[in-house]
Amino acid sequence: MSRSGTRTAAIVAAGGLFFVLLPPVATFAGEDYPISLFTRILIYAIAAVSLDLLIGYGGMISLGHAAFVGLGAYVVGILHQHGTDGQPLLGLLPGSDNALLVWPLAVLIAALSALVIGSLSLRTSGMHFIMITLAFAQMLYYFFIGLEKYGGDDGLSIYSRNRLPGLDLGNDLHFYYLCLSLLAAYLLFVHRLVQSRFGLVIRGASSNSRRIEAIGIHSYRYRLVCFAIAGAGGGLAGALLANQTEFVSPGLLNWTLSGELMVMVLLGGLGSLFGPVLGATIFLLLEEVLAMYTEHWMVFLGPFLVIVVIFLKRGLFGLLTGTGQRHE
Amino acid sequence: MSDRILEVRDLTKSYGAIMASRRLCLDIDRGEVHALIGPNGAGKTTAINQLSGDILPDSGSIVFDGVEISRMPPHRRARLGLARSFQITSIFDDLTVEENLALAIIAHAGHNFRFWRNCLKTPLVQRELPAALERVDLDRQAGTIARSLSHGEKRQLEVGMALTGRPKLLLLDEPMAGMGPGGTVEMAKLIGRLRGEITILLVEHDMDAVFALADRITVLVYGECVACGTVAEIRHHPTVRAAYLGED
Ligand SMILES: Nc1ncnc2c1ncn2[C@@H]1O[C@H](COP(=O)(O)OP(=O)(O)OP(=O)(O)O)[C@@H](O)[C@H]1O
Ligand SMILES: [Mg+2]
Repeated sequence: MSRSGTRTAAIVAAGGLFFVLLPPVATFAGEDYPISLFTRILIYAIAAVSLDLLIGYGGMISLGHAAFVGLGAYVVGILHQHGTDGQPLLGLLPGSDNALLVWPLAVLIAALSALVIGSLSLRTSGMHFIMITLAFAQMLYYFFIGLEKYGGDDGLSIYSRNRLPGLDLGNDLHFYYLCLSLLAAYLLFVHRLVQSRFGLVIRGASSNSRRIEAIGIHSYRYRLVCFAIAGAGGGLAGALLANQTEFVSPGLLNWTLSGELMVMVLLGGLGSLFGPVLGATIFLLLEEVLAMYTEHWMVFLGPFLVIVVIFLKRGLFGLLTGTGQRHE
Repeated sequence: MSDRILEVRDLTKSYGAIMASRRLCLDIDRGEVHALIGPNGAGKTTAINQLSGDILPDSGSIVFDGVEISRMPPHRRARLGLARSFQITSIFDDLTVEENLALAIIAHAGHNFRFWRNCLKTPLVQRELPAALERVDLDRQAGTIARSLSHGEKRQLEVGMALTGRPKLLLLDEPMAGMGPGGTVEMAKLIGRLRGEITILLVEHDMDAVFALADRITVLVYGECVACGTVAEIRHHPTVRAAYLGED
């Protein structure tokens, strides 16, 4: 048991080292593109880890996680627009490009929306939960499509990235390492969380919802807070994504993104935290490579995913750490 | 403090045409082991589920330790000191044995969000876990995922969780079913040790175990209480012999 623990630690360390060393190596090779591709991977990884907390540990299979990513992105986009045109939001709030203000707000709004959506969805379970989270996300998707003031269907362009004291976010290297640090911090937080008292209740409720009530714990409030923490992670990813692409559009709230995040989690390994980072990496790299040859790249990714899900219980990360066989 | 821990009056529950509880009355004294017996489908599990709150009665009252609980949700009854095991073992399969017991320990420590500190290393759990493991003889399996325990060990773990936090009344729904002779003896020993410490309502088909362990016995037939008395009284009760023991 401790041997597989050391192996996991070694793999995580190697992965961390890879991400830290990637920019200097790419720069040395005279290639800029990998840095922007891997920034995108880091951001998706944050969203995938937050979804893993929900699905892999909390047993809450949400098909609406894109809603929180999209909300986080729109907070950046909308405040940027008001900052540019000088008109206060709702006649009250001035726009802003200050990351120290905008990002916490993006996280907060995503978390509060998750509280509202969660408080209604968590009254259901199983298939109903999947459908209701999907329905809420699609509602928000169509809401932003109809929001002409902020670009409607066309989305919003962001003319300059947010400002952060001491860093130049317009510099791809700075931005890359910031995303890496935020992913590391979120991973550490969730890693501690799932072993904490709160996390134990979440995992217990997921394992046996009847037993947890029978020992005297009402799990609803715990699961709701967990849903909000995951939503906050989605919102952070959204705020970063808006900065990276310098563009937000309703597509960020669409169920296709929710589905992709879920695929990343499954591919990497459900309930393994680091797995979804690997899942996001593999997914986006495959997309990148396959899309060069065919626009129907999903045709190739699909079977690959089926094979992973059928044969590997803990995804590709489980395969690496040697804890992943289907049978016990 | 009354010496009745539980008073059930006219509890009624029907499933369509089937009356699973028919004006059921039941009194349990503090400290006794009270057995609830009856043929298959008599309504024993349905009665237990209404006591624990897993299902709600159509009518009737349940007074537990002076509090009317018949409409209370399960987690609040558990906090009042009502613990149970299920007829089909119900544990946290995906957690380790120590995590299972730790959950039961923190359940009684009040509502509290703790996000950072490893739960197994908190003083409360460190203090209570060793005794909880030892009580059900699972010290050596502390780090094992509960799913991979043997059937008997799972049962012991479930009872161990129910015992954590010193419940005032323990509801056991066929704790010995499917345990094999060795497991049955172990479980009988455990219940024997608990006698006097905790009040127990025991549903059990194994009549030798019931006669050996119980102080009093209630007999249920078609959802109705047909007899209640000491072991000796029930053994010689004519209706019981005809309705139940005769069939065995
Ligand atoms: N959810 C349900 N829906 C319909 N009928 C039910 C339901 N639960 C129990 N019953 C019926 O109620 C009656 C009592 O069932 P119960 O499970 O309480 O019996 P029991 O005494 O525990 O039996 P056993 O000894 O087999 O465990 C049975 O006739 C059963 O078929
Ligand atoms: Mg039964």
